[in-house]
Amino acid sequence: MIKVRHLKKVFRTPGGGELTVLRDINCDIEKGEVVSIIGPSGTGKSTLLRCLNRLEEPTSGVIEVDGTDILDSRTDINLIRRKMGMVFQNFNLFEHLTILDNLTLCPMTLLGKKREEAERRGMELLGMVGLHDKAGCLPGELSGGQKQRAAIARCLAMEPEIILFDEPTSALDPTMVSEVLSVIRHLANQGMTMCIVSHEMQFVRDVSTRILFLNEGVVYEEGTPEQIFENPQKPVTRAFINRIRTFESILENRHFDLYGLFGKIHTFCNKYGLGTKVSDMVEHITEEMLCGVMPFCGPVKMTIEYSEKTSGLSMTFRQENTLDSILDNTDEDSLSLMMIRGMSSSVTEPENGTVCVELGTVPFCTC
Amino acid sequence: MIAAILWLVSCTGRMTHDLSGVNGVEDLKGYSVAVAMGSSYDLMLSEIDGVDVIRLGVGELLVAVEKGRADFCIIDQFQARMLNLESRGLGIKFNNILKGTACAGFRKEDSLLCSRFNSYLRSIRTSGEYDRWLDEWKSASDSMADASFLVYRHEKQLGSRALHVGITITYPYLFLKENNLTGIEVDMFDRFCETAGYSVDYEIYDFSALIPALNSGKIDVILSHMRRTEERAKQVLFSDAYIEGGGAAVYRIGDGMSSTERAGIRERLRESFNNNLIVEQRWKLMADGLWVTVQISVLSIMAAVMAGVLLCRLRMSRRRMVSSPTGIVIDLLRGIPLLVLLMLMFYVIFASSRITGTWVTVMSFGLYYGAYFSEVFRTGMESVDSGQWEAGFALGLGKFQTFSKVVLPQAMNRIIPVLKGEVIALIKMTSVVGYVAVVDLTKASDIIRARTLDAFFPLILVSVVYIVLSWLTGLGLKALERQLTPKSRDL
Repeated sequence: MIKVRHLKKVFRTPGGGELTVLRDINCDIEKGEVVSIIGPSGTGKSTLLRCLNRLEEPTSGVIEVDGTDILDSRTDINLIRRKMGMVFQNFNLFEHLTILDNLTLCPMTLLGKKREEAERRGMELLGMVGLHDKAGCLPGELSGGQKQRAAIARCLAMEPEIILFDEPTSALDPTMVSEVLSVIRHLANQGMTMCIVSHEMQFVRDVSTRILFLNEGVVYEEGTPEQIFENPQKPVTRAFINRIRTFESILENRHFDLYGLFGKIHTFCNKYGLGTKVSDMVEHITEEMLCGVMPFCGPVKMTIEYSEKTSGLSMTFRQENTLDSILDNTDEDSLSLMMIRGMSSSVTEPENGTVCVELGTVPFCTC
Repeated sequence: MIAAILWLVSCTGRMTHDLSGVNGVEDLKGYSVAVAMGSSYDLMLSEIDGVDVIRLGVGELLVAVEKGRADFCIIDQFQARMLNLESRGLGIKFNNILKGTACAGFRKEDSLLCSRFNSYLRSIRTSGEYDRWLDEWKSASDSMADASFLVYRHEKQLGSRALHVGITITYPYLFLKENNLTGIEVDMFDRFCETAGYSVDYEIYDFSALIPALNSGKIDVILSHMRRTEERAKQVLFSDAYIEGGGAAVYRIGDGMSSTERAGIRERLRESFNNNLIVEQRWKLMADGLWVTVQISVLSIMAAVMAGVLLCRLRMSRRRMVSSPTGIVIDLLRGIPLLVLLMLMFYVIFASSRITGTWVTVMSFGLYYGAYFSEVFRTGMESVDSGQWEAGFALGLGKFQTFSKVVLPQAMNRIIPVLKGEVIALIKMTSVVGYVAVVDLTKASDIIRARTLDAFFPLILVSVVYIVLSWLTGLGLKALERQLTPKSRDL
């Protein structure tokens, strides 16, 4: 139904520079599909969605809707837009109209519906989203969740063939997210074609038939929810799905600032709510590793990775400029190594010069 | 001018100068003398050192003396004789100041018209018609100042050249009686036009604006009891003299309490009301003035809204080549005082065209307030969230539909309350149009004041009328605002 080829979007920055948000996007959306677009922030998910109905003007590329090239200047984009509903992050209900009038304005103006007919259909739709008794209210009198449900009903009033959801729950209180998601889920069950940009991972996983993972301006990885969530193929996808937070530091030589490093580690652990116990242990391992194990024949790169999804914590120490194995050259009875082994679940060296310390999942039950 | 009057009215301090030794112009040294701005008395006194010259409008001169603001004022002696000065506690100190003759003024290149007028004057002088006619006027006015004169009007002759005649209301030479223009000079000029086969169109100007209006082609003839001076003769071609006259110095007698002041306040009010509105059906002039004010206001508001929309559209253009020059134009328009813009338009830009003051006013007000309105519109438009545009577009509404059905109604809610102040300011500002020969409410009251020489009543009346106008406008806009507000609920 929608075909996107080589879509490129470049923004001009106020300073006169250019910012390429979408580099080369290729994707298809078929009738009946629920396609979700996920990815790190700033990768152009919303921009892609807004290009689909030309709220953003693409820089180059082809977008076809039912075989019509919508970027062609001869195409009446307004006719295309009638078929494509859009739900915004900030609802964008018409503030001066009642909820019912919000629903009837466009059907009456564009589809030539009679008022009674439009209002009857409007009330039906309001009933469907659970806002039957709010028909006479102004948008300002509704809660965020109610507004978003009204906005979805407004889309439906135009009888669209596809609905684009642009982060429909991002502006909502956590308490109101579920009521909106239920409505969208209900639509999905009815077979409505949808394209959703969302950060609600659990919801995306439940409702989608296909997921596009956007990164660095391209469709980085694509697949069913199972493929993307259970078994992501590419590292950035994996890091994103597991919500991996990393801490990195490069230590030039043996005389590095240990207490400065401890401070940074402490901040990192605090930020993700790991607690003092965990941060003490990480600092301990860091000290033993850097002062007892690493040979320092060049700079050492240290990385801490914490997955918010699995709560797994691991540390990696990489000795640059070496081909020798570190663990092989360390005395098995070395006190440092023994202490590290005692505190962690495993210490491995997947390749020479790189030591991986797995601390297990937080909170540690071993201590 | 209004400020000057308020200052006069509010002034209660009375000076007690000894005026007994004053018997001629030379003796005026050390005294304050009120004169009409731009008049020949003004020029004369300015050249005498030591005279404190107070320049005012014609209507304020007697008030200045009454209130003790000036020791003397100089008005025409014929006029002074016909006004009932004693009843106001005033008297004539001496006459024949700057004795001279009044002439009609023509454009330098219009010598043919001038010579036709001169030969007409000669012919009526030799036939004796002139003397008969002047006696008729003098006797009529001597006996009763406000009685019905012989008002001689001729039928306008169609197809002949229309002469635009600039006049200043100067009783009894040119004045309005029962809302018709009459007076000695008007009578004479009407007779001339009838003989010579012209139709005539009188336009009321400030005295000081007459010569610029003549030279810019707005008028063909100055007929305003103007005397020939060397300075004026450089710019104006004067006819032969047609009437003689001079000035009278008016002063306050004794304690200066006028008979009306001695009377009770009700009596005074009744007399004021009668004098300023009923006598000679002066209320008609006020009513006409009010109608002109309303017309000008309505047309100007419409023009300003149109100009405002256009300027706002250009200002909000995405193209810099369009938006920044528009911004400069808006700043320029807002930087010029409205009165200056009005005069520029009338005496410079539209100098040579026959376009009337009313239309110049509407254009100037349209431009000036258009600049203000456009900024009000722009802030109104910008206050509507861009998401409203996007929502309209995303539903398939076109640009214009989104604008008219979604954005405009919301912008209007924010625009109208701000616009209300601007519109009322516009209505009140129309009071300056007297400068371009439009007789609006304020000018009508000026004319009445020039005739009755009573400041208080006409001004209070005019203020009340403006207040009512503003109030009604406010109500109208409020109703409009309520109409546009989404369902004003009864909470």
